[in-house]
Amino acid sequence: MEHSMGYNFGMLAGVLVGALVGIGIVVLLFKLKVMDLTFDERQQLARGQAYKYGFWTLLGCLLLYGFSDAALGRWCDVLTGVMLCVAVALVVFASICIVKDAYLSLKEKPRTIMTLLTVVAALNLVIGGMNLKCGQVVKDGVLTYGAVNLICGAMVLVLLVIYVVNYLMAKREEAE
Amino acid sequence: MKNLRLKSARAALDMSQQQLADAVGVSRQTINAIEKGDYNPTIKLCLAICKTLHKTLDDLFWE
Repeated sequence: MEHSMGYNFGMLAGVLVGALVGIGIVVLLFKLKVMDLTFDERQQLARGQAYKYGFWTLLGCLLLYGFSDAALGRWCDVLTGVMLCVAVALVVFASICIVKDAYLSLKEKPRTIMTLLTVVAALNLVIGGMNLKCGQVVKDGVLTYGAVNLICGAMVLVLLVIYVVNYLMAKREEAE
Repeated sequence: MKNLRLKSARAALDMSQQQLADAVGVSRQTINAIEKGDYNPTIKLCLAICKTLHKTLDDLFWE
């Protein structure tokens, strides 16, 4: 569906304003010391390795997506495809961090993160479910941008499961 | 290889892994990894641990 120039500029302005507000909030949280991403040396090393695997996963997924688009024809919106690749790379990065106990900074509490992951997963899955019900996820056999909530929800749910399993295993080990 | 000397020095001061971790500014899992021999700490962290446990580098980390 073609949109007018005004619509596209409006979308771009909306995204830019949203990004600026988001960056402003994050900067403020850091200044107020509400957010503190201090990691120790072992965690930094583990996160570096996780970044490496996440980066190569992203490259692999983007290549795979490009080849699949060329071979099979358009099966999903470009932005959705890119989001899918980013989600897979993020899952790889975050799951390695979680398994190596390098996901949380020194000041963060596991329960806070688990609550946050649960809320984000639930919200995205609910919105994604509504999109699915309204038929906005697949149109004319093409995965649309409406699928992004489902992708994000699934991604966060996977991370939550990995986090909870790792947390329970660490607790059991601590008790022993 | 497990670092049992670190574990016993910590136990001698009746400190938990979490207390030692807080004292030297790392996570509990990092202290656990050092004791299990899964992680080789930097000299900076070794010194911080030695100071906290009132030991020398030779006492805790020299083979």
